[in-house]
Amino acid sequence: MEITLTVNGAARTVDVADNALLVDVLRESLGLTGTHVGCDTSQCGACVVHMNGDAVKSCTVLAGQADGADVTTIEGIGDPDALHPMQEAFRDNHALQCGFCTPGMIMSAIDLVQKGGGSLDETAVRDGLEGNLCRCTGYHNIVKAVLAAQSSM
Amino acid sequence: MEQAGESRIAQPRDRVWRALNDPEVLSRCLDGCKSMTRVGDGEYEAEVGAKVGPVKATFKAAISLNDVVEPESYRLDVEVKGGAAGFAKGSALVNLEEVAGDDGDETLLTYQINGNIGGKLAQIGSRLVDAAARKMAARFFERIKVDFDTA
Amino acid sequence: MASETGIGASVKRKEDARFITGAGNYTDDINAAGQTYAVFVRSPYPRAKINGVDTAAAAATDGVVAVFTGADLAADEIGDLPCGWLVKSKDGSDMVAPPHPPIATQAVNYVGEPYAVVIGETLEAAKNGAEAVDADFEELPAVVDLATAASADQIHESVPNNQAYDWELGDKAATDAAFDNADHVATVDIVNNRLIPNAIEPRAALGEYDAAAGTYTLHTTSQNPHLERLVLAAFVNVAPEARLRVISPDVGGGFGSKIFVYAEETAVIWAAGKVRRPVKWRAERSESFLADCHGRDHVTTAQLALAQDGKFLGLRVKTKANMGAYLSTFASSVPTYLYGTLMAGQYTTPAIYVEVQSLYTNTAPVDAYRGAGRPEATYVVERCVETAAREMSIDPAEIRRRNFIQPGDFPYDTPVALTYDTGDYEASLDKALEHIDYAGFGARRAASESAGRKRGIGFSCYIEACGLAPSQVAISLGAGVGLFEVGEVRVDVTGSVTVVTGSHSHGQSHETTFAQIISDKLGVPFENVTVLHGDTGRSDYALGTYGSRSLAVGGSAIISATDKIIAKGKKIAAHILEAQEDQMEFADGTFTVVDSNQSITFPEVAFAAYVPQNYPLEELEPGLSEKAFYDPPNFTYPAGAHICEVEVDPDTGVVDIVDFVAVDDFGHVVNPMIVEGQVHGGLAQGIGQALLEHGVYDDTGQLLSGSYMDYTMPRADDLPSFTVDTTVTPCTHNPLGVKGCGEAGAIGSTAAVMNAVTDALGVASVPMPATPETVWRAARGE
Repeated sequence: MEITLTVNGAARTVDVADNALLVDVLRESLGLTGTHVGCDTSQCGACVVHMNGDAVKSCTVLAGQADGADVTTIEGIGDPDALHPMQEAFRDNHALQCGFCTPGMIMSAIDLVQKGGGSLDETAVRDGLEGNLCRCTGYHNIVKAVLAAQSSM
Repeated sequence: MEQAGESRIAQPRDRVWRALNDPEVLSRCLDGCKSMTRVGDGEYEAEVGAKVGPVKATFKAAISLNDVVEPESYRLDVEVKGGAAGFAKGSALVNLEEVAGDDGDETLLTYQINGNIGGKLAQIGSRLVDAAARKMAARFFERIKVDFDTA
Repeated sequence: MASETGIGASVKRKEDARFITGAGNYTDDINAAGQTYAVFVRSPYPRAKINGVDTAAAAATDGVVAVFTGADLAADEIGDLPCGWLVKSKDGSDMVAPPHPPIATQAVNYVGEPYAVVIGETLEAAKNGAEAVDADFEELPAVVDLATAASADQIHESVPNNQAYDWELGDKAATDAAFDNADHVATVDIVNNRLIPNAIEPRAALGEYDAAAGTYTLHTTSQNPHLERLVLAAFVNVAPEARLRVISPDVGGGFGSKIFVYAEETAVIWAAGKVRRPVKWRAERSESFLADCHGRDHVTTAQLALAQDGKFLGLRVKTKANMGAYLSTFASSVPTYLYGTLMAGQYTTPAIYVEVQSLYTNTAPVDAYRGAGRPEATYVVERCVETAAREMSIDPAEIRRRNFIQPGDFPYDTPVALTYDTGDYEASLDKALEHIDYAGFGARRAASESAGRKRGIGFSCYIEACGLAPSQVAISLGAGVGLFEVGEVRVDVTGSVTVVTGSHSHGQSHETTFAQIISDKLGVPFENVTVLHGDTGRSDYALGTYGSRSLAVGGSAIISATDKIIAKGKKIAAHILEAQEDQMEFADGTFTVVDSNQSITFPEVAFAAYVPQNYPLEELEPGLSEKAFYDPPNFTYPAGAHICEVEVDPDTGVVDIVDFVAVDDFGHVVNPMIVEGQVHGGLAQGIGQALLEHGVYDDTGQLLSGSYMDYTMPRADDLPSFTVDTTVTPCTHNPLGVKGCGEAGAIGSTAAVMNAVTDALGVASVPMPATPETVWRAARGE
């Protein structure tokens, strides 16, 4: 089937299988490989993107469900010369090591801060990122980064 | 995985015994059973669709009846190969006891099941499969009971 | 040069720009024109004889390009996957390793072992083909329990008693004598739980074959591409080394699990040659659980003999180590030379005797996982010490102090084969006690008690041997390869620098740290240094990244190459400035004639080297590019003190880590921000082992903890923030005075947590992981 969605501000029309997942459309059809696949049970969060303003695990969204949706991936929030405040906070606080969970983590963190009304404390950040696994950082610096970004976003 | 249960059926024992040896009845009573074919004396092949947690597949089951003591008991051995989903195998010791009911002879069916699973079924579904198997067995023997009313 | 980007500065990472914008380049992000997809068909049985594999239906499936079985690889003379470290048993006999064909031929020996691989036009076609492969298995009873494996069914025809080896280290007679003279003996029985590494990037491979050139290129998720290439060429016989290039692009974490040479990568590169098209594979997480090498899995009894005053007299350790079904690449070395050798810990224990029996079971192979042997050793030693302290009513900090090797004792020969070069263990402990406010613990405990909660404190003073390794020592102990590292410093014509290192970075930040070193040593602006790694086509043969060695060994190689650059630069500068070479000084990027105002900058010298007009060509080659191989003279010995404070809710068994302090001595630190990050990550994994993680097989050999639903990964809300600090005794034998920091967190923390949990409950032991159920039962004395 054919679906049309807005990805990072641009309209894209893609022919997809009925059972195709959004993450595969992003990675394979659109070449947006910043969104990662780290598990097969929707639990690692490496594939988190924004769909119509909400953070979603794109491995749990059928491509068909995204027809007409507005999708933002890690590639759509900033670039090296104009980073999103969350990207900047991740860099400044050394909130990443191997970088594999980072795109999903940043996308979840942005959603968390946007919906947190500026009142997130450490516990709230830890609870809010419970759906994203990181094996490198022990989360210490990720939590610092998100709290820092909360002030700058 | 081990479980046991019983079901009282308001039918004489030899009728129950015949039903338990009739592939059509077995097929009707087994959840998700798409076909059951007799392939030899006391040996059947069945296709069963089942869903355990996130694992959903059609399984091919080889069923054989062993240690048959007509009309009292048998052991039903089931081996299921689910391809990439893994395997399941088990046996059910089925015993039929004549009991006196209000309206004539009745049968007390008791069963003991043990089995194990492997591959993806165990890897992903082990927490769920015990309950699923328990439910499947209970429904099977319940349906056997009901089947006499509708057959 | 102390600068904002030099050694000692918390420079922001070069790597981050691509990772935070989604521009990382991981193996699965790479695609080749016309690529096919591989799907492995895996055994659902822990142990079975293969009577036959029928691939006809699979081969006839729509979109299937080819189906290969173990027989196809064998027919092509593809060899077994080897173990690279020969360990000998007590009786002098060699370890026994069963044949390990990449794709099973005669038998399968763990759930998940591949017995066929299907190559498809699409991933879906390959999956459909895999579904159609029909194997005739004859099931055999599986050996699962480590404790009884030696007397169980024999798994491999060639391996009696399922034993890989029965190894010993230390002086048995002296240790026995120490126990005879002891006033007190503390005994601990320990199960070191099986862990599943779970780097968040699953393993992946893209194999390509260039038929015209006869060359193979393998992109894969390896921590050490050169080792992968060596093994695939020399042992597995995929292609001669010169016709095989292995590239590790960005790799999403390793923790040891990506050191090893695995079946899947092997089959992928081989298959690319067979189907003459690129072959792509990416593990599903379910496959990672089944077929990545697992970690730890020991059963141990240990005894510490003490004098009345708490001095350690002797240590006796008897361990069974689970190897899984086959001997993985470095599996044999982990419970021996990376374990037994660390049993002295930070202490002067004069007599130590360690016995390790390594056994096969029908489970996934077990190999190095972050810390590799050293967390197990630390757990043994520190549980013994804590137990002895409690039994003898000596303060746990005090008993350690009484037994520490003192700063004046170095170099210190332990009774278990190592020579520690330097350290100050009391300094780390003192700092840690201050951070945790040990003096205030009693009051905090009382406050918890009155709130109905149980508070405990636990210590762990660990040591590790890192910077693997002095080649001749390692080879004499059975290593099949040297363990040096290579570094190349290419000065560009304009004076910028390209560094090529054999160390691979998959989170460790080499691109930043190594650039800091160059910037510091050569005075080249940090932003003008580029670090290349992870490609056998780019760097000389090297050994890669594991064992906290990158800076201590790889960094030292870069320093050596830099020294050569400076030496040659002085010759060039002397020629241009018409001075003597020995009159030249180099500092801050400038060559100066001593006691003069004559100088020339580093870029000017570089330019002269490549445009050799005013240049001594008759005695000096043009160009400014140097390479060095660095072979460390000794291991490095990072050490530290970790203290954990917990509160346990006795009604629910939930353990809350209320404070965790890690004070580590890594020698000099190049980038404190990065080092702290490494410690944080290690702590999370060590705490994960103590409280959450457990690789579980049922008694029939099925993996029960096979997904993130059942294997408890530490998540953000499971962990506290950490207090991390350092002390410094510089390593005495490498140019940077560095020791390595990658594994420390995972080595020290587990024992600290468990000592705290047992302290809180007032019980002798609690099994790991200390889940709420386990703790709740322990609290009730069950």
